[in-house]
Amino acid sequence: MIKFLKKEFKKHLLDYLLLFTAGIFFILSLNLFQGERFLEFIILLFFVSFYIIWGIYHHIIIDKFHLKIVLEYILIGFIFLFLLKIIILP
Amino acid sequence: MNFSRIKNFFHHLFIPKEDNNFRSKLLHFDFLTYYLLIALFFTFLFKKTPLYNILGYATDITIQKLYELTNSERQKYNLPPLNYNEKLASAAYQKALDMFAKNYWAHFGPNGETPWQFILNSGYQYEYAGENLAKNFLFSQNVVSAWMNSPTHRENILKKEYTDIGLAVVNGNLNGEPTTLVVQMFGKTQNALAINPVKTKPVIAEEKRPIIEQSNIKNKPAILAKKEEENKPKIISFFFNFNIFFLVLLMFTLILDFYFANKMGVLHLRLTGKNLAHLIFLGFIMIAIFIISKGSII
Repeated sequence: MIKFLKKEFKKHLLDYLLLFTAGIFFILSLNLFQGERFLEFIILLFFVSFYIIWGIYHHIIIDKFHLKIVLEYILIGFIFLFLLKIIILP
Repeated sequence: MNFSRIKNFFHHLFIPKEDNNFRSKLLHFDFLTYYLLIALFFTFLFKKTPLYNILGYATDITIQKLYELTNSERQKYNLPPLNYNEKLASAAYQKALDMFAKNYWAHFGPNGETPWQFILNSGYQYEYAGENLAKNFLFSQNVVSAWMNSPTHRENILKKEYTDIGLAVVNGNLNGEPTTLVVQMFGKTQNALAINPVKTKPVIAEEKRPIIEQSNIKNKPAILAKKEEENKPKIISFFFNFNIFFLVLLMFTLILDFYFANKMGVLHLRLTGKNLAHLIFLGFIMIAIFIISKGSII
């Protein structure tokens, strides 16, 4: 499994680097605007949108693009958008 | 026989194999759609329900808990516990109401209102006084921890001169968004023998004031609000724990699915999203949940 992970990261280094960078910006922005609920929600919305776009882009690049895959990224992204919304903007 | 059935059932849910099309059942589209529907149901149910106004489920912050935690911090430094003072509580509550009414988040109001005015208007003649403020925290423990991590707020909590404390936790709308304000006011009454009370007024906490907001207490005395808040259902705690549980379950399933699919050599053959990417995304969401549970202090 470790072997696979290494291979996967090496093969798509730029893509994963992009995802990590976006994640770090997401966390830093949340820290910066801690307590500002509306802004926190907007930041979350941006990150979820980025994640879905990243998923589509990545699968186009690796030539495995399919509507089912897009739906999977949308579903996972939106599940947590709504679950966190309950906490951020009750 | 039964054990074998249970084992198969869990295998079907978590482990990719032929009868679940080599993808953990919990990660199938129908299941993901159910999760989304549940999330949507909760989101819109609580948006529409009057529970928010009646029960104030927005946070799990209670005056009682804040009071206990503050005194427990003082006890760690061998300082005497503070007495809960109704006048200071009323001042704290009025301060929170003023912030909502005039739409500001600061120790001083837009028209020059000072924390000391609220204290004096409540009938509390102070020799020493201080104020701590916090907003949009989810739990009492996080509020007190944030104050203790800030040198100026910490100084207020651990000031040996203070003898009394008043607290208010108020829900309202600040700058157009639902906000929970926590106001913590400290004080020590003037010595009865003091000759010139005006001169003894402390300027101390002017730079160090923290503010707290109170929720759902309306115009009742703060002491009554204290009892009322204790009875509130801890709905936000439920959702916080639910989010953590669901995140951990999904991450666990993704790891199992990833591990076994890789072992069976079917990882490249499946038409699914990347488990690794999902895990990275969920990891950041997990960190975000903990950041969101903390608000801001001044």
